[in-house]
Amino acid sequence: MTIGLSFLLGLLASSVSYFMLGLWWPVAVVVGLFAWLAFGLLDVKMDSTFTLLGGLFLVFCVSLSAMVFRASDQLSGLQYIDTQSEDGIEFRYPVPLLGNARYGEAVYKANGCAACHTQQVTHESVVLDVKALAGEKNHAAVQEAISRFRNVTGRDASSGAALGLPIGEWETVVNGANAADASKARNFLAAAGASVDVQVRFRGEDLTQHDLLNPRGRGWGKRRSVAQDYLFAEPPMLGSVRIGPDLANVGARHSRDVLTRILLNPKIIRKDNKMPQHRFLFEKADEDDQGQHIINDGYVPEGVKLPPDVGMGDIKIIKVLVAEDDLIEKGKPIVSVKLEETQVDIPSPFEGIIKELKVSSGDTVKAGDLVLIMDVAERYKPTKDAEALVDYLLSLKSANYPLPEAPIYQPYTSSMPKPAPAPAEAADATKADEAGK
Amino acid sequence: MDPREAVDRSCRGPVLFLAFSAVAWLLVYSLFALLAGVKVHASGMMADSAWLAYGRIQPASQLALQFGFLVQLGLAVSAWILSHRGKTVLVDGGYLIFGGMLWNAGVTLGFLGILAGNASGLEGLQMPGKVLPLLFFGFVLVGLSLVQTNNRRTDEEMSPAQWFLFAATLWLPWVLAGSYLLIHFFHAKGVVANIVDWWFIQNFARVYLTFVGLGTLFHFLPALSGRQLVGRGHAQFAFWVMLLFGSVGGVSPGAPVPAWLPALSTVTAVFYFFGVIAAWVSLKRTINAAAAANDADSLVYNLMRLAALVFISISVVNVFFAFPGPGSTAEFTTYGPAMELLFNLGFVGLTLIAALYHIFPRLAGMDFSPRMTRIQTTAIVLGFFGATLPTALGGLMSGDAELGSGFYFASLGDVFLFAGSLILFLNFLGAIWFAMKNCECLADFSGKAKTKEASA
Repeated sequence: MTIGLSFLLGLLASSVSYFMLGLWWPVAVVVGLFAWLAFGLLDVKMDSTFTLLGGLFLVFCVSLSAMVFRASDQLSGLQYIDTQSEDGIEFRYPVPLLGNARYGEAVYKANGCAACHTQQVTHESVVLDVKALAGEKNHAAVQEAISRFRNVTGRDASSGAALGLPIGEWETVVNGANAADASKARNFLAAAGASVDVQVRFRGEDLTQHDLLNPRGRGWGKRRSVAQDYLFAEPPMLGSVRIGPDLANVGARHSRDVLTRILLNPKIIRKDNKMPQHRFLFEKADEDDQGQHIINDGYVPEGVKLPPDVGMGDIKIIKVLVAEDDLIEKGKPIVSVKLEETQVDIPSPFEGIIKELKVSSGDTVKAGDLVLIMDVAERYKPTKDAEALVDYLLSLKSANYPLPEAPIYQPYTSSMPKPAPAPAEAADATKADEAGK
Repeated sequence: MDPREAVDRSCRGPVLFLAFSAVAWLLVYSLFALLAGVKVHASGMMADSAWLAYGRIQPASQLALQFGFLVQLGLAVSAWILSHRGKTVLVDGGYLIFGGMLWNAGVTLGFLGILAGNASGLEGLQMPGKVLPLLFFGFVLVGLSLVQTNNRRTDEEMSPAQWFLFAATLWLPWVLAGSYLLIHFFHAKGVVANIVDWWFIQNFARVYLTFVGLGTLFHFLPALSGRQLVGRGHAQFAFWVMLLFGSVGGVSPGAPVPAWLPALSTVTAVFYFFGVIAAWVSLKRTINAAAAANDADSLVYNLMRLAALVFISISVVNVFFAFPGPGSTAEFTTYGPAMELLFNLGFVGLTLIAALYHIFPRLAGMDFSPRMTRIQTTAIVLGFFGATLPTALGGLMSGDAELGSGFYFASLGDVFLFAGSLILFLNFLGAIWFAMKNCECLADFSGKAKTKEASA
């Protein structure tokens, strides 16, 4: 192998050991030199199975440790963390799945919901806000620094600073700048003697609420998803393709009713929805079942006949009590017939819409004859699986709560006054120091 | 007896068994890909069957494609190339058959497991965790035979084709075992399971499949054009760089993991590309616009050149989208899976099918029907381009959280692919049947081993 090529490989080996494995730099240099010697000067040939096997195994170990073990080391310490809900109640996060939701996660997994839905809210860019605090002495200098910043970057200062920086109060100087501009602003302001603070904001379609100003906004979460969110997921079903919307925060967006309907037939919610229907998660409801959980999904034409046991021989229709396109309830009379000289009303066996009348007043029919055709609602009720799945979906609200590594609003921290150490502790520390000496 | 014939005789049963299973799985894949596409056109179809939910047939079809088709045909072709390159008979061919049976059992159980709702919930290793040991031992048995065959090669020198295929044969069981142990045995918690899974996907595609495809190209392109391989040093560079950088990465920008993982993935993708260029330069300078030395080989040769072209095109586009800016545009769209499918079918699949066209007549003593071969090849090529390019473009144009219009056109590609793989399957079946009926070449084999392919 040529010297140049082996040098390149040596360089690769040392950079891998330094940047990826995080080895101490002299060790990385030695590794690189060793690789250079091994490949080039000693002229290791690729004709021995042993060389190949050894090299392969080495790379395998590097690969496993650089990507998997290092990540695992970093993430294995994740624990509960304190956060607060929208109404300010503090609680421990993440909350394990409770009750039915744990089973619902298994339903989600079994039916491959992750083939079309992700569970990760992302941000696309980061913008920075710069705040400044000027005292009486340096007020003029800070004002000048702000106008200099405006001249250099061509960027308008935020309204507060433009109106005149109040003395002794924090004021936002630059709003939504990129890193380069924010750094310029910070340098100018710091040179003028102001206290400066930089705030980080995350931006992206996922995080923006959908409204007139932001037609591409989705409002899928208040913050991006981070590893902490998936502490109890088995396994985290992050997904890689969004054919449908992201579900990391779906529990905060939709109600139980809407989610159940979407599972049965997404077209009930939106006409042009392309999501496949999941009728296998539902069962046909009985006629008598009138619970809250029943969903009507479309209509099927159904013929209504005179009951076969209504009577013998010719039956005369006295009056048709309904018209086409009428919506009628179950049990409502549809026709009056003359039976043994008495007038009898025949009730509708279904709830639905009358499509076509097959008889008119004065006709003579027989028992079992077709009277009319009506569109009858198909009534479904969710199975246990569907209910558990919806429970699980409703529990997905992760992107609502701020975390230290994924704040909803990053606090201004860099020049906050440092808390003064408690005197008692300070005294103890001094004593301990003295004792140590 | 001609030594080549002796080598072919030793390969006959095992290689044809693996190849036939692979072709059957390709048919299964294309059928289920078609079914998954139907869901897009008629959302209410098959809605009463849990087994045919989109979220189940889509991963199941991926399993059939990758583990059923690509891995098995890759093993079959590797076995043939390693024994031919090493000028030695295939050692312990029975291991290939037994290992192949275990592997097929594993893939079948995994396939049915996903359809029955026992998927693992991960993307790369969707099959139930319990079938992984079966797959592992199946592959190891096949690998034992291949490694021994390689060790008994006549020449001491190993060619690039042998490095790539040998490395691939060792790599997959290691990665499979590593992922299995970390996910199902040590129960990796939280997103660590996903990181292991991405690691597996990356190694499976960028190392295993790429090495199988490149190894096959490094054997056939020089052999069919009748030239010596130019640039052994380039191939060596490509080998180590692609191995080192292909085995790390594959984390998308914005994934909910520590930020160094996506950054590392961008870096490795760029370095990996240098390896791709080196391999490309070596192959390009070898064939240098030459035509096939033998007219009979021109179909195989041209298909392989097309596959190489698909490979380099995908690599160029991949390195562009590995950067965070373009990467986050393409992220979550149907672009990603479409390009993965193009890589699987258009590069690896096409290379291996072309290799099968070359190998099959030498083993069976009977060629595929030429007309059917033409039709099936056209259908398959139209099929994978038709199924992937509209979806990829549609994904880029319509963004994520949309079912781009590309999906509608893709079904046409799926139909072609299904037709092509059906004809390939029938062609294979017919050729084997005629070979057994008309010539003596399979008589000793069918008499000796009463295995599945005898009935086939």
